This record gives sequence, structure tokens and C-alpha cells, in this order.
Amino acid sequence: MTGVENTSELLVETVTTVNGREVRASVPARLHVADFLRQHLGLTGTHVGCEQGACGMCTVIVDGEAVKSCLMLACQLDGRSVRTVEDLAEGDELNGLQQAFKEEHALQCGFCSPGFLMTATALAHQGGRPDRAEIREEIAGVLCRCTGYDTVVTAIERWFAEHPQAVTDPIATQG
Amino acid sequence: MTILEDPATGARADEAGGRPRVIGTSPLRKEDDRLLRGDGRFTDDVEPARVLYMAVARCPYPHARITHVDASAAAALAGVEHILTPADVRRDTEALTVLRPVPGAPTLPYYALAQDVATHEGQPVVSVVASSRHVAEDALELLDITYEPLPHVVDVLAALEPDAPVLHPSVLDSNLLAANSDGSGDPEARFAEADVVVEGRFRINRVTALPMETRGVVAEWRPGARELTVHCSSQVPHLIRKQLAETLRLDESEVRAVASDVGGGFGQKLGVFPEDVLACLHAIALRRPVKWSEDRAEHFRGSTHARESVHDYRIAADSTGRILAMTNVYATDIGGWNSPFGSAQLSSVVFNGPYKVDDGYTERRVTLTNKTPVGAYRGYGQPEVNFAYERLMDRLARRLDLDPVELRARNMVTAADLPWRNPTGAVYDSGDYERCLRMAAEAVDWAGHRARGRTPRPDGRLVGIGFASFVERTGYASARFLARRGSVFGAHESVTLRANRSGGIDAYTGVSTMGQSSETAFAQVVADVFGTGYEAVRVHAGDTASSPLNTGAFASRTMIAAAGALRAAAEELAAKTRRIAAWQLDAAADDVEIAGSVARVRADSTRAVPLARVYTAAITGQGLPPEEEPGLEATAHFEPSDAAYSFGTAAAQVAVDPETGEFEVERFVLVHDGGTVVNPTIVEGQVRGGLAQGFGAALSEELRYDADTGQLVNGSMVDYFVPTAADLPPVELLHTEVPSPVTPFGVRGVGEVGTIPPGAAVANAVCDALADHGVELTALPITPEAIWSALAGRPAAGEPALTPTPADLPDGGTEY
Repeated sequence: MTGVENTSELLVETVTTVNGREVRASVPARLHVADFLRQHLGLTGTHVGCEQGACGMCTVIVDGEAVKSCLMLACQLDGRSVRTVEDLAEGDELNGLQQAFKEEHALQCGFCSPGFLMTATALAHQGGRPDRAEIREEIAGVLCRCTGYDTVVTAIERWFAEHPQAVTDPIATQG
Repeated sequence: MTILEDPATGARADEAGGRPRVIGTSPLRKEDDRLLRGDGRFTDDVEPARVLYMAVARCPYPHARITHVDASAAAALAGVEHILTPADVRRDTEALTVLRPVPGAPTLPYYALAQDVATHEGQPVVSVVASSRHVAEDALELLDITYEPLPHVVDVLAALEPDAPVLHPSVLDSNLLAANSDGSGDPEARFAEADVVVEGRFRINRVTALPMETRGVVAEWRPGARELTVHCSSQVPHLIRKQLAETLRLDESEVRAVASDVGGGFGQKLGVFPEDVLACLHAIALRRPVKWSEDRAEHFRGSTHARESVHDYRIAADSTGRILAMTNVYATDIGGWNSPFGSAQLSSVVFNGPYKVDDGYTERRVTLTNKTPVGAYRGYGQPEVNFAYERLMDRLARRLDLDPVELRARNMVTAADLPWRNPTGAVYDSGDYERCLRMAAEAVDWAGHRARGRTPRPDGRLVGIGFASFVERTGYASARFLARRGSVFGAHESVTLRANRSGGIDAYTGVSTMGQSSETAFAQVVADVFGTGYEAVRVHAGDTASSPLNTGAFASRTMIAAAGALRAAAEELAAKTRRIAAWQLDAAADDVEIAGSVARVRADSTRAVPLARVYTAAITGQGLPPEEEPGLEATAHFEPSDAAYSFGTAAAQVAVDPETGEFEVERFVLVHDGGTVVNPTIVEGQVRGGLAQGFGAALSEELRYDADTGQLVNGSMVDYFVPTAADLPPVELLHTEVPSPVTPFGVRGVGEVGTIPPGAAVANAVCDALADHGVELTALPITPEAIWSALAGRPAAGEPALTPTPADLPDGGTEY
């Protein structure tokens, strides 16, 4: 490639932990976390829906908190720990939250599911046992055009009921 | 649900045979594991080696002449690999084609890049491919494009005025793309003799499907092999293949379209869009894969919108409330171009809803405006007219001082009437419409509400209940019917079943997976008919290279058509399986049954052979009965005999503050009949999901254009309000299950029903609560502001009515 140099593509050295593994990367300064996960690490389970922080498709967990990864730059991950949907299943088995989604028909096209799963996982990290109305408020940052949300709320409610240990489980809340 | 299930296993007893049925049960979905593990394969997840990225420069004006394009500075930027200008596209492609044309409409010269004039904000003008999307977008900033803004029009009625700027003067003298009329009887005579006439103008808001996954395309070209592989987010891969071939001047054999996981379609992802063609052109020029992922700002301007229309409705009745005639003259906005599925065509088909009307007509005026093109969206014209005719039914009830439930019941088509042909040629197949209405009235305690009267609650709010009854056309009547409408696809579905040596059955379908659970439902039908386990069936979806030519997933038609093909293919495969097994078991084929993973003698289940062994014999041709051909594969095509009409009634209860117009939907009951239910959980999911989109369109969603600038003013997810989990009212679902006589297993479509009744039911509830204030809502969305304005008695702007063109009406019904 020849031509006029593009000075916008500055690179930043970044060290981060992704799903428990250390990742050293040289990332464009303007690259957001969702694109970093998807394009640089191949973790395509994190989806991109609006790049304005409005739809919640790209929700991941950064240092234990749910974060809309389109609103964070990859270079800001330096020294932090990220958890994505690919880390939830236990071997080939769905974890309790994923299984609840499956059994409650909490997904149709499934594009939004990673956002809900990571939001609910981070919610468990806060402790407590939210009721349905609280779950509705907590997941309102993730949009879904397929389900009408009732089954999503039911799946999360059921997971909290059946897996109280999830709140303190270091695996569930890792990062 | 009226389905009888074994609570322990979820298995459904089969009255005829003895083995458990799979149809009618809710096994866990085939699709879920990959989607829950972040292992779906959506279009943007496809990342071939050496892929390049496309970005698109778009017209910032609603209507502009492109007088100059200079891409030299962009081309000089490091990382930029290729640029397409309007002249390149004109030279190398044909105009985009339409799949479901508006009858009578001329072809518009719609190219992938605007030629000379762009007719809406967001129309592609130049496309750039570079080493990254960032660099491609940097290059867009370096393009030198000169526009000469032209006069624009964004209001659908203003666009029909004689002084409106004409969008396509080379093809049309006005912005009327086409007018279609249908009807029967002598409605004007009935209006003349009627005791009462109610009429009104109803405005339907412009909304958009807004799937969570935007559109996208990944194109690869191998010049030596002459093979164009296109991954795209589409509901109709086989139609994508057809359209790309004709637009790019390729043979269909040179194009493979793949849509594996689709993150929501809802009608929007039907057919080829400009960017699909552009990515292919770049890939062909570069001999490298090219990817384009639509961003959300592009999506709001470059994908299709829906619904916007203005309906002038009339109902004539006698003093007892019996409907004598009904008419609908309406202008429907198609935007700047005719998209592949263009204007919604069902507003005319079901304009009378579930009511028996012998004399009636519709006239549809498809109107061009300087806005994003309109395309199909879940409901396809049916929510629009339901809002209008159900609002008028309540007004008729008030005029005659009748109970609105009794008025509806009095006019509904009865089971004895069915099948029944309406004035526009729709043949309603079967059902019990009044039963759904009565069930809804009982569930919402309509009698109690009537008895209580309109006493305000202690907080001052008034309570109202409103109903919306409907029929919904699902599926298509036939290929013959589609041919009359000029549609370039069939009414059938096709499927291939192939046994494998592991003892399973692979099912190949061109229906892509977009949330409708077709992988699950298809496996259920195969398992049920064939007799093998649900887990033994694997569905491979959405790849034109491996699936038989089919139509696609839209119009609530997939199960209606595919179920017949699945049944026929499974029966053919089962018959051969039994013949081979019988020979291996030394029994007669008629005495052999398939049960789970084995074929066995019915009278002696110890005489059994594993299906894997039967399949292997067929696949290898070793161990077959004499005269039996090797191979175990069946392809079947099925066209249903007619469209099936789903039906139902919704009831909404609202509490309204008569001072501010603020309101809350406290209850929403939907009684619905989708015919025979293949999977109750999936059906309920489809209905609830449709309702969520219906509530969005009824209560909060509206794409607004500034009349002065022609700009979309709320084209982002921050400004366009789709319902969140915290916004939706509680929904109570009730079902009846009247099998359709025109479809396999008696199924009706269920994917779109939820979008239809929310607007009318909530508006009727609000107007019921505020009846003493004389509030009559006539527009969507229903907002506190709209109610407050109505309470304040602010008059609607005076506009001339859409008078019908009598020479065209009625034309006897040409069957939409």
C-alpha cells in the first residue's frame, strides 16, 4: 500500500486479561473494545448494535462491572480484566444462566443474548436477589426485538433462585 | 392452550398411533447452544483471510443533483484499495430489481449508487474499500462530491399535490407510483341508504423494524472459478442469489448466497440492497474478499422504514349496527425508491377485518416522497388498517349507543359463513372469531367494567377498556395468485432430507435462521412424520449451495409451506427406510415401523435393526433389496392450496389522567388462534415478540422528518424509542386452536399477529376512559401529548379528503 500516510492510525501497547488469559496487543488508539474483542481476538460472541451505548449488544464485564464495550477504547483496557460470553459455558456444558435462558425460551435470534447474559452475570456480582421489577430495570440497557423480554426476565429470576451461590461464585464473578 | 401434554415428558399422546407425537410439544431449541455460547455465525462474524472493508458516502440531502464527484484525494490515502463512483456502477450493473412489485408501477432506475439525482438522505453515492473500516471512513472525508439541492417533499399527502416536486420525472409525471383498487358490490348505494355513517382520517406513523443485527455483506470472488460467494444477513438467500445474478450480469450458477444466523429480520431483510451490490463489485475488481457492516446511523437511513400511511375510512350501518358497507381510500408512503418488497400490500386484503362486509372497496395510492424507502415489516399493512377500522367500530358503537363487544359480535363472519370471500378477494378459511372476542371480554372483565361506570379512581385517573379484533393473512394463496400480482417468487417451500451413516437425518433448507425457530420446528416435523428422534435430525439452513431452491422466510409462511414439504420428504424417506429394513429383517415393509434409532417389526420389537445400519446400506449400496436404488435422500416441494387466516381479539385496560394525558396500560389480553400448534413455546414466543414490536409502534416509535430540511431528526437508538424490558405492559395470552383446512397439519402463521392489535386496543381503551371528554384518537403513536392535545380540543389541521377515483372502483377484486 502506498499513498498519503494516514496519521489517524496510531498504535498503543496494551496488556489486558481476557477470559482469564493475559493478552498483549498493539491496538489502534481509536479502536473500541467491542471491535478489539471481535476483530483482534476473534471473540465474536460480543456483538455490535449501535456504537452509541444505547442497545447493549456489546455488554461485557470489565473488572466485575457490566460495560458497554463500544463506549470504551481498547487501550483503556490496559491493566484491566475482561470477561465475555465465550467464558460462561463450563466445558461443553452451558452454565446455569445459559441453561435457564435455553429452558425459558429467552432468546429467538440470539443476537442480544450475550448482552443479557453478561448484564445478569454482573448483576449477580452486586449481591442480593432482585425481584422481577428490579430485573426489568437492570436489563433495560439491553434491547431485544424478538422476545418481548418476559422470558428473559423469567430466566434471570430463575437463575437467581436456583443458583444463589452464583452471587459469590468466584468463577461467575471473576474479573 | 387446548393441547394435552404429559406433564412428565412433555410428550403428546397420539390418538391414531401409539408412538409419542413431536408436533405439539416444546423440545428445547436446536439453535440455542451456539447462540448462548457466543458461537453464532452472524454475517459480521465471517472474516475471510485478506478481507478488506467497505464504507459508503451517502447523500446528506433529501433531494439533490450530484454535479461533481472527485475521488482522487481519497484514492491517494494509504490503505485505500478501491473506489466506486456512480459511473462505475452504471457501467457494470443493471438497476436493482423488485421482488414484490406494486401492481401497475413502472420500473424506477434504482442503481446501487445514485445516478445524477439522489432522492433521500442516506442514499449511497460513492463507496470506498480500504485496509480497515477506520481508513475507509477516513477516505470518505476526502471525497469531493458537489450537490445541487433540489426542492423536496416529505409529507405523503403533500407529495400528491400538483405543485409537489416530482422525484422521478423521467418515468412519472407525479409522485403517484401506482394506484390499485379492489372491491365488490355497490358500496355507494349502501352509504346512501344507511342510517348512520362513521368516517375518519387515520394517520399511521413511520417506524422501522430495527433488528438488533444491522445488515451486512461479505463478498468473495474467484475469477478463475467464476464463483461469487456472498454472506449476507437475509431472510431470502435464494432470492439474493437471483437478484445479485441479474444485477451483476452473472449466471445464477456463479453466485452462492449464505445467510446462516440472522440477528432479526422482521421483513426488513428481504432482497438485495445497494450495499450488497457494491461489496460484490469491489470484490470482483480486487479479487479479495470485501466486507461491509452497516452501522446504526446508516441503518436508520439506508435500510427500509415501514407503515407510514394516511387512511380515509368509512363505515355505513343500519340502526341496529349491522354494517352495510366499508371503504378505505389511502395513501401509503414508499419513500424515494421502490425497495424489493416495496409498499405493504395487505391493507387492502384485510381492510374489513373479521367483519362481514359484502359491499366495499379499497383504493391504494403508493406515493413517492424524499425519504428512506419503505419496505416490508412484520404485519405488512395489517396493523395500519386494524387501527382504523377498530377505532371506527368503537365510534359506531357510541353513535348507536351499543355495547362495542356486541356490535363486533353482531358483524363478525361466523363459522357457518366460512370459507368466505371478502370484497377484495381474500378467502377467509376457517375459525370462530366471536369465540375469541367473548373470551377476551370475559378475561378482561368487560361486564364488570361496564357496570362500574366511569367513576374516577382516588388518584383522579379514569379507567378504560378497549378491544381490537382482527384477521391476519398468513402465507400466500398460490403461485398463480403471486403471478397475477407480478411477484417473482413462488408460494411453495422446498426441503431436502438426507440420511447419514451416524444414524441421523440432515435437513437442508434455504430458510435462514433469524429467530423464528425453524431449525427446531422443522426437526419436529421430520421426527414426527419419520418416527425418529428429534435429536437425530439436524437442520442446515440458509446456504444456496446446499439447499433446494425455495422462497424464504417471510409473510408468516414458512411453516405453512415448509411443513408440507417436510412431511412429503419424510414420508418418502421413511418408506424407503422401511423397505430396506424389512429386507434386512426378513419381514414385509408394511409390518416395519421406525421407532427412535431403530426400525423394527411392529408385532415383535425384538426384531430390530439400527437405523444407522439401514442408512449405511443405502449410502453404500451394499445390503440392499434387489431393485432398490442406492441412496437415501428425498427432496420435496409443497405449495399450500390457499392462504390461512389467523384471527383473534385483544383487550387493553388503561388508566388515564384526564388532566395531563398520561396513561398506563395496566392489562393486555390477547386471544389468538394460530391453528394447529407445532411448538407451543415457540408460538407463544412469536406472539409475545410481535406484541412488543406492536406496542413500540403504537406507543413510542416514530421516525420524524423535518419538513423544511427533509432530514430524519431522530435517526439513532438514542432518539428512537423501542420498548425496553421496563416499558412493556403485562401481557396475558389465551389461545384457541381451530385447524386450518388449507394447510398441512392445520397450521396458520403466527409470526406477525402481535403487531396488529396493540394500537387499536390501547386507543380504544383510552377513548373509552375519556368518552365523557369526547376524545377520539386518530393517529399513531398514542402519546400523553397526543391525548392531552385531544383533551384540549385542539383541532386537527384541515386537509382535503382522499376522494376515490370512481372510474376505478370497484374493479371486482383482483385478489391480493
